Amino acid sequence: MDSRLESMRQSVRNGAHRSLRRGPEIGILAECEREGLSWVRRSARLTRRMCEAEQVVIAPDERIVFVRTVQSVPPLYNPSDWIALTSHRKLHELGPISNICADWEMVLDQGLLGRRAAAQATRARLATDPAAVEFLDCAIETIDAVLALADRYARGARERLRQDVADVLEQVPARKPRSFRGALQFLRLCHAVLWMSGHYHCGLGRFDQYMWPYLKADLDSGRLDEPQAEALLAEFFISLNKDSDLYPGVQQGDNGQSLMLGGVRRDGSCGVNPLTYMALRVALEVSMIDPKINLRVTPDTDLDLLELAAKLTRRGLGFPQYSNDEVVIPGLVRHGYDLEDARDYTVAACWEYIIPGRGMDVVNIGAVSLPAAVHEGIVEGLRKAESFECILARTAGNIEAQVRSLADAYRDLLLPPAPYYSVLMDGCLETGRDCSHGLQYNNFGIHGAASSSAADALAAVRQVVFERRTASASDLLRALDSNLRGYEAIERELKHGAPKVGNNDESVDALLVWLLDRFAGACESYGDNGRGGLLRPGSGSAMYYVWLAQGRRGMSEPVVGATADGRRRGEFFSANLAPSPGAVVRGPISVLQTFSKLDYARICNGGPITMELAESVFRDPGSIRRVAMLIRTFAHLGCQQLQLNTLDIETLRDARRHPERHRNLIVRVWGWSGYFCELAPEYQDQIVSRHMYALRASAIPLTAKEVIGHEPCARNDSIDDLHAVPGRPKR
Amino acid sequence: MMIGTIFDIREFAVHDGPGIRTTVFLKGCPLRCAWCHNPEGFVRAFQTLSTAAGSRTVGQNISAEDLARLLNRQAHILRAGEGGVTFSGGEPLMQTPFVAEVIDRLEDTHVVLDTSGYAEQDDFRLVARRCNLVYFDLKLIDPTDHRRFTGQENGPILKNLSSLAEMGIPYVVRVPLVPGVTDTDCNLTAIAEVVRDLPGLVEVNLLPYNRAAGGKYEGLGLSFQPSWDETRAVNANVTCFTDVGLKATVVGWTTEEGQENG
Repeated sequence: MDSRLESMRQSVRNGAHRSLRRGPEIGILAECEREGLSWVRRSARLTRRMCEAEQVVIAPDERIVFVRTVQSVPPLYNPSDWIALTSHRKLHELGPISNICADWEMVLDQGLLGRRAAAQATRARLATDPAAVEFLDCAIETIDAVLALADRYARGARERLRQDVADVLEQVPARKPRSFRGALQFLRLCHAVLWMSGHYHCGLGRFDQYMWPYLKADLDSGRLDEPQAEALLAEFFISLNKDSDLYPGVQQGDNGQSLMLGGVRRDGSCGVNPLTYMALRVALEVSMIDPKINLRVTPDTDLDLLELAAKLTRRGLGFPQYSNDEVVIPGLVRHGYDLEDARDYTVAACWEYIIPGRGMDVVNIGAVSLPAAVHEGIVEGLRKAESFECILARTAGNIEAQVRSLADAYRDLLLPPAPYYSVLMDGCLETGRDCSHGLQYNNFGIHGAASSSAADALAAVRQVVFERRTASASDLLRALDSNLRGYEAIERELKHGAPKVGNNDESVDALLVWLLDRFAGACESYGDNGRGGLLRPGSGSAMYYVWLAQGRRGMSEPVVGATADGRRRGEFFSANLAPSPGAVVRGPISVLQTFSKLDYARICNGGPITMELAESVFRDPGSIRRVAMLIRTFAHLGCQQLQLNTLDIETLRDARRHPERHRNLIVRVWGWSGYFCELAPEYQDQIVSRHMYALRASAIPLTAKEVIGHEPCARNDSIDDLHAVPGRPKR
Repeated sequence: MMIGTIFDIREFAVHDGPGIRTTVFLKGCPLRCAWCHNPEGFVRAFQTLSTAAGSRTVGQNISAEDLARLLNRQAHILRAGEGGVTFSGGEPLMQTPFVAEVIDRLEDTHVVLDTSGYAEQDDFRLVARRCNLVYFDLKLIDPTDHRRFTGQENGPILKNLSSLAEMGIPYVVRVPLVPGVTDTDCNLTAIAEVVRDLPGLVEVNLLPYNRAAGGKYEGLGLSFQPSWDETRAVNANVTCFTDVGLKATVVGWTTEEGQENG
């Protein structure tokens, strides 16, 4: 990156632009109430007022403009009206539509004027349908609001003698971009307005697919050379970091600005193009937490592409995250997705698969706590002196009950109208229906959380109580009741004597496979989710490795104390697909072999195998190629998704002591990357206590306690309150 | 059926040979190198390692058949990853018949022997000829220094090195760089003199001393007593080797931007 971009990056990281956030804090309640506006009209009004309130900011050296100056998104209803409107229905998280992906290809191609024309044509056709007319008027209101904002920026640019910026904004987002720069500017503005409209976890989709035609035309005609294109792309990536402090999320950085690269096209041919490579190179140079890069691979993906990705992995940003086309696509097809759409998949906020423009799936309605299902089965079964098979049957019943309870709660899901998001989705303007009423795909995703911990608990009970009989059922029950204190011999046996997930050990891996199969079975037998979709089971955990272990205000998922895998109360569960914390494993090969046994055609919501590589791996010649081959091994073995992170434990340790020295230290948290020093302590603790692979022989894996100098944090509500959580708006 | 004693199996062992490798660490060693970072490899008997994470038993008896089966289950991955299996330790040649039997049972697997070279010549040849590549440690040329810092004579080591050179098996000579002990120009030059005319040498690897070396001693009830200045930078003077036409690489150092060193 040149010095212009480097200083831009620094300035965004330092938050210099935040001093510009002095736009008026707007409210729309008074006018909405005065005019008696409906919900959808309020939504459109919100988008319009937010756009109107934005002040034009064009830094002298900026080529891709826009930064938010209005800090917060005002409510659509006063609190009592909001409660009256929503109390009898289920809202998802904060309420507004989130965690989906626009059809950026279509929007860029049509331009907002094209979308406006589509809306008007439908309005004429459906003139007698008042609901359609109202929705389309609202959609048009939002389009006009964005166009007016672009227009003000264009005027502002001319006043500042930035004819180049003005030229771009006179074309986009009104019309199809005529250049790569125009396409990036288009995306920057239209994407930002989603967030300004109260939406969050707004995905960027298959960036290299929809952007490549614009870049190719510029390169072919000589309007851009490669370094110029890279500079524009770097500036675009930096711009995605400007407003992230305004985004709601469980922790800073949990913002779902995911960007997909590579993979097959809709027709099944390979979609890897020069922009795939360029985006990886530029993400490496920029090295900020946004956008979060995902890469689609197959067992045949070129090693040079994987090596480039491995270089990004070495950077320690926690991305790219890898998805295996050969596994993901058949899984989606099996769940009712058209083959062409399935080939077009991207990820929602973290890892959940979603189809741009056509997916109105709610990919994270909650988590099934597999450890709780197992624990209750064990406790009940042992109390009644039942066989291990009965414990399994109880576990299966518990899983089914949890699935049912989650899905039942969402049968009456209330998705607020989203006229602006509808503009960017497929078919809404054409049919006169808001995307909140549903799109082509309306499935729900459920996390099957902490599967390794759950399987380990089953394996340990089977061995200790039923096979070796080193402890009686009542001893084990008493031990678990006492949080294993005073039962250290049993604890050792559970913890170190029993087989653990991650060692390619059939006896326990079979239990893992069984658990996730039962989970899939429960989802399949549930049937329709109430929105014409079905339930998609996944293998992710999101923040549930902490929440399910320690409890969380407002959470409906069950919390358990000490568990039969030898884990004491409050200790973390396994995250996503990874061995349990504290399980002894030989390394990444066995871990991949273990997780290759899952039937991913049934477990199709996503949820990555998560592995941490020691930073020292990369000090060895040939390490990049080795890591690339490890990624290929993942694909070869038929695994679904892989999150490969690089951690330097010494640096993390120092960052705990001297956060001021490590402000830019980036780590992967669950499905996203954030700045280590901005995380709440319990998340920091979990990171430093993860399994580390390929340590130098001389290095000893450290416990969380050794790294941070104290026992890992238990739940801390005062910390929670600093951050936005689902159900509570961020302050 | 041979039974061996190991203290670890580690996958994706990127420092132990080419490609994606799995390393088996054999327990027991004739040397007591003062800088050894794997003290749990000293004796074959099981030991208890106590750390803040709790205590665990170090050591596991395993049959050659079981170990080979375990390794063969991932052989296709190791092959596809241009790697294989490495036998390290401890000193694998302390358990020669076991190691040889495991190798014989491996399915089409690239094998590296990582050895101190201190073994009976027959034992050495028995295992070495079953390997595709040997990592041969050479620490000190001066016999007195060698005895002082490793507890053994270096005669058998040098003899096995020349034997290896005659066998036609490629090998890498690895020199741990311990500040003021092995990293002196004098010692490095002497090593270069020994290896310069040996056939089959792929290259010389210099391994800078790791300050975490002493980490596990206390947990084993041992004491780590470096007589050298641990904080001193090592003298990674590759010119001692390159001057006489040898290829030499410092392993495990990163240059700017994390680029690999050559």
